[in-house]
Amino acid sequence: MSAYQELIKNFEKIRGYMREFYVYGFKSREEYNKKSARSYDDERRRMESWLGDHMSFVRTPEGKTVFISIDSRVSQHNPFYKALKAKSFTDGDITLHFLLLDILYAPAVSLSLPEILAQIDQSLSCFENPMVFDESTVRKKLKEYIEQGIIVGEKVGRKMMYHRAGDVELPGITDLLNFYSEVAPCGVIGSFLLDKAENPPDFFAFKHHYITSAIDSDVLAMLFTAMRKKNAVTVWNLSRAADQPSKIQMIPLRVFISVQNGRQHLLAYQPQFHTIKSFRIDYLSDVKLEGYAPRFDELRAELDKMQSKMWGVTSSKSHHGKEHIEHVEFTVRVGRNEEHIVRRLEREKRIGRVEKVGKDTYRFTAEVYDTSEMIPWIRTFICRITELRFSNRMLENQFKRDMEEMYHMYGIAEEKHDFQ
Amino acid sequence: MIFNEIYSVYYQVVAKIIEEIIRGDAEEKHLDRIVREYAFSESMQTVLPALKGEKWQLMRRDRTTPIQHPPTMPLTLIQKQWLKAITLDPRIQLFDVEIRGLEEVEPLFTSEDYVVYDKYGDGDPFEDEGYITRFRTILSALKERQALKIQMVNRRGQLVLMQAMPVRLEYSEKDDKFRLISTGCRYGGTVNLGRIVSCEKCEAGHFASPIPPSPVKRWLTLRIRDERNTLERCLLHFAHFKKQAERMDANHYLVHIQYDKDDETEMIIRILSFGPMVEVIQPEPVRKLMIERLQRQKSCGLF
Repeated sequence: MSAYQELIKNFEKIRGYMREFYVYGFKSREEYNKKSARSYDDERRRMESWLGDHMSFVRTPEGKTVFISIDSRVSQHNPFYKALKAKSFTDGDITLHFLLLDILYAPAVSLSLPEILAQIDQSLSCFENPMVFDESTVRKKLKEYIEQGIIVGEKVGRKMMYHRAGDVELPGITDLLNFYSEVAPCGVIGSFLLDKAENPPDFFAFKHHYITSAIDSDVLAMLFTAMRKKNAVTVWNLSRAADQPSKIQMIPLRVFISVQNGRQHLLAYQPQFHTIKSFRIDYLSDVKLEGYAPRFDELRAELDKMQSKMWGVTSSKSHHGKEHIEHVEFTVRVGRNEEHIVRRLEREKRIGRVEKVGKDTYRFTAEVYDTSEMIPWIRTFICRITELRFSNRMLENQFKRDMEEMYHMYGIAEEKHDFQ
Repeated sequence: MIFNEIYSVYYQVVAKIIEEIIRGDAEEKHLDRIVREYAFSESMQTVLPALKGEKWQLMRRDRTTPIQHPPTMPLTLIQKQWLKAITLDPRIQLFDVEIRGLEEVEPLFTSEDYVVYDKYGDGDPFEDEGYITRFRTILSALKERQALKIQMVNRRGQLVLMQAMPVRLEYSEKDDKFRLISTGCRYGGTVNLGRIVSCEKCEAGHFASPIPPSPVKRWLTLRIRDERNTLERCLLHFAHFKKQAERMDANHYLVHIQYDKDDETEMIIRILSFGPMVEVIQPEPVRKLMIERLQRQKSCGLF
């Protein structure tokens, strides 16, 4: 049995634990122990080491419950980025890393593999038991660094010569990195860049700031790479309905980011079902690039068209080969000095239109693929909804039943209505 | 791709240690401090012992190093691609910088590859020259710790003048707006940048404290009924707050959330969006506000 290590080789396992501790945080150790008691203890200890004060625990009758609690308005930088800076390595990896970048210390220094090997041996000769790196190990590391873009390999005659890649000038970029490392997709990359600076000053804070997506950065970067190359991918997907993840093929088309519910979805074409569907990015893992997808542009154009009828992430539902569209309208009362309600309707609507229909009433109307996605927003106008009409009668009745239930819940119900 | 040891905290700390040794500051205490300051809380047990024990052959037992140059690493391809991607964002103009050397680099993503589909439609005018100038003036005042003379339009549409000491710029992704958090201002400590008409730096003078008053924090308790996937939706929705959840029974949960008192109306609206699956249990004043809204709804004659 190997000893506990602060660093990890595989991110997938800790990704699951982090989400559980941060989003839910009410499960006891015993519930996690169904998987492995040791694994739970190790992952919890690692997170305590990375996240420090953000980790808390309470004792409940079911046992000790560990949770992560973070007010992201107060933390200037996403604490979850630390997890992505905890990749394990071998003693050889770290030694070779610093030796190689020291030997190839400037882009003008260009050496062959035997020359590099000779210099490595010379550098290590001062140690009592010097490490020995064979040719294939160093060649493999150089190849890895060429893929990362930090080393350049060039054939000169029949010889492969290696030199350090040229750098990018980044003067006065700290403010920009402080901002974009928090708001741009894959912001952790900005955090890696900030790590190069010495305690950079930071003047930004973030409100309504969802930080969980940090742990999905690797998946997201692979999906972006696939989209840029117009590639299909295979990916493991853990849907809510299934216990085990399944491997699926898809053509990624666009990432849909929510700044109101903390979720990120991928809209992708699934050839197996001839349909564009949404997938939760936090449920995806192990993305592998496949070949070029010749239909990429055509499918993305189709998604562009669909977006005018999408409130959230549900795309066209086909009923017997026909596009299924639902009509939604509701009217709100706007009193004197309540012009902000009209402004709210205008700025918060993503599709549809707002019109004045009476002296103090405004109506919102839209055609959508899925009325249910719009209901949470409509509920935010509770206290002023005077009319409501959905072509999906089932959902309209459910909305009204829900209202009745809320009256009961808060003790203000009078009589029961029957909505059929 | 992103999860790689070359970005790891350990590599960064070892780079700093080597740099200090090359500079001639190899005192053990100093090296300890670097690990404590830059690495994780348990890294002390690994980093220096591995270096001192010559497991990582980068430091000799006498705390000298075979490395001859202060460690540096060029930008990786994905770092360049990410930088290229953000140079395509309209908000980049707020920052007075020019990044050279990315001409041949493909961006990691473009605006075609993702959409923030639920941000509000009246975000700040990030491409407006006047707005950009005012943003840069504020950022510069923050760095130089200078006060600002600000002319802004208030909620009633009137022009008002104020002086304030800037503390930070707060950005809301949902509102797509910046707010200036400041101290010493008679109109309150928060100003939407979109309302500022002009601003200029001035002497700090009488602004003694750069610390704005802390926002008043409140706790509220919600009861969640886990139907229609409400538990996950609700906990994710409120994930950005300090919070704690507990299970009551197989289908019911309590969640305690800490919020700013100033954002109470927004909290009520957000809770309403979950319908009957989420109930305010405490505090009583917030519960009363929910009841008030529902009573007003009853009078709307919806059914």
